[in-house]
Amino acid sequence: MSLHRIRVVIRRHIYVLWRAPHRWFDIAFWPLMDVILWGSLGTYVAQQDAGSRASAPFLIGGAMMFHVLFQSQIAVATGFMEETWSRNLMNVLTTPVTEFEYIAGTAILGIAKVLAALGMVTITAYAFFGFDTTKVGWSLVPISLILMIVGWGLGIAGIGAVLRFGQGAEILTWGSNFILMALSGAFNPVESLPRALRPVSKVLPSTQAFEAMRQVLAGKPLPTRSIATGLVGSIFFVAAGFAFSWLMLRSFRRRGFITRFS
Amino acid sequence: MGEAVLEARGLRKSFKSVEAVRGVDVIVRRGERVGLLGPNGAGKTTTLLMLLGAITPDAGTIQIDGFKLPRQRSKAMTKVGFAAGYLPMPDRLKVREALTVFAGWYGLRRPRAAVDLALERFGITELADRLSSRLSSGQRTLVGIVKATLHEPSLLVLDEPTASLDPDIALKVRTALLAYCESTGAALLVTSHDMREVEMLTERVMFLARGEVVANDTAAIVASTYGHDNLEDVFLSLAETHGR
Repeated sequence: MSLHRIRVVIRRHIYVLWRAPHRWFDIAFWPLMDVILWGSLGTYVAQQDAGSRASAPFLIGGAMMFHVLFQSQIAVATGFMEETWSRNLMNVLTTPVTEFEYIAGTAILGIAKVLAALGMVTITAYAFFGFDTTKVGWSLVPISLILMIVGWGLGIAGIGAVLRFGQGAEILTWGSNFILMALSGAFNPVESLPRALRPVSKVLPSTQAFEAMRQVLAGKPLPTRSIATGLVGSIFFVAAGFAFSWLMLRSFRRRGFITRFS
Repeated sequence: MGEAVLEARGLRKSFKSVEAVRGVDVIVRRGERVGLLGPNGAGKTTTLLMLLGAITPDAGTIQIDGFKLPRQRSKAMTKVGFAAGYLPMPDRLKVREALTVFAGWYGLRRPRAAVDLALERFGITELADRLSSRLSSGQRTLVGIVKATLHEPSLLVLDEPTASLDPDIALKVRTALLAYCESTGAALLVTSHDMREVEMLTERVMFLARGEVVANDTAAIVASTYGHDNLEDVFLSLAETHGR
C-alpha cells in the first residue's frame, strides 16, 4: 500500500470538487434542507402535543447523524463513479494504484465531507431551532464512527454493484442509504417499525448508533454496550462490503466488463 | 534476441460460448516495436486488456518486466504506459492537473518536472492549462500519450492511438512516438487499423484472426508470405478468409 498514491487519489477528487460546484450540494444544501424539514416537523409535533416537546431534537439529531452515514457513503461511491462518468476507469485500472488505495483515498476525503456536513447541520440547527449539538458532547465521536464505517461499507458495496451490473446499478447507491435510514430508525425507535422489519433493524449496526444518540439526547449516559455492539457490527458490515466488492471486481475482470466503461 | 519486457504465453479467453482468444503468445523484447493487428473480432482488444490486467485470462501467464499478473499488477503497471485514442482524460481537470495525478499514481515524487518534460517532448506545452474536456480529439490523443509516457515506462501499449485524427496530427503523433521510443529505449505494442501507420511505427507485426496468431514477423515478410507487397492487402485477405 502506498500513502503517496492515496494522497494523489484525494488530490484528484479535490480537483473535481473545486471545479464542480453542484457537488457542494451534498455537503451544504442537503444537510440544510434536512435540518429545515426535520426541525420544522419536530416543532410542529411539539406544538400539537406538549408531551412531544422532545421530538425536534430527536429529529434534528437523527438528520445530523444520518448525514454522517450519507456523506461517507457518497464520498466513496461517487469517488469511484466519477471515473465511470468521465470514462476514466480504464486509465485508472492501468496505473499502479490499487483498489484498496483508491477506496482509502475516497474514504479519507469522506471524513472531510462528514465534518463539513456536520458543521452545516450544527450551525443551521442552532440558528433555526436553537438545537445545541454540544449536548451530545463527546458521545458524538463513537456514534459518528459507527455510522461512518457503515457508510463506507455501503459505498464499497455500491461500487461492487456498479462494476458487476453496470451504471444502472447506481440507483442502489442513491437508494441504499435511505433504506438504511428507515430500517435503522434514524428518526424513530425501532419498536415503531412494522413488526416484520424489526429483526432486520436489530442486526444493523447503524440501529445501535441512532438508538445511542436518542438516549444521549434524552439525558441518559452513552450506552457503551450498544456502542461496542455497533462498532463490532460496523466492522463486519464494512468487511462484508469489501468481500462483496472484491467478488464483483473478480467477476468484472473475468467477464471483461471493462469494455462497458471504455 | 534481447530480454523480454512483455512475455505472455498461452492466453485464452472465452465469453460464454465465444472463444475470443485461443492460445495466443505475445512476446515483446526490450526496445522492440510490435504491431498487434487483425480484423474486427480477431481478439486484439481482449488480448490487450488481458496484458494490462483489466481482463483475467481463462488460461495462460503474463509477465511484465519481471512482474507477474495478476498478483503483481500494481508493480507491473509501474513499467507500463497505456493510451487509447478513444479514452478521454478525466473531466473537470486541467491537463496539467490530470497529468500530475497520473504521475503521482505512477509513483513520481516530483511530478511537475516530469509533466513539463513530457508535454515538451510531444510539443503541447500550450495545452497545460486547458481543461481536459475542452480538448479536440487530436489534442486528447496527444495528452493521452503524454500521460502514458510520464514515468518513462519500459513498455508503451497503445490502442488505436491515431484513430479519428487528421493525417497531419496523426503524422505528428507517430513521429513523436518513434522519437520517444528511440530516445528512451521503450518497447511499443500498438494496435491500429491503419496499416501504413503500423509499417512506419513497428519492426514486427502479429496478425490475429479468430483469436489466434496467424502471422508473426516483419511487415515485409508477413506481406510476402501472403503473396502481397503491403500489410493493407494482407489485412484485406485475412478479413475475407476469416470472415467477420
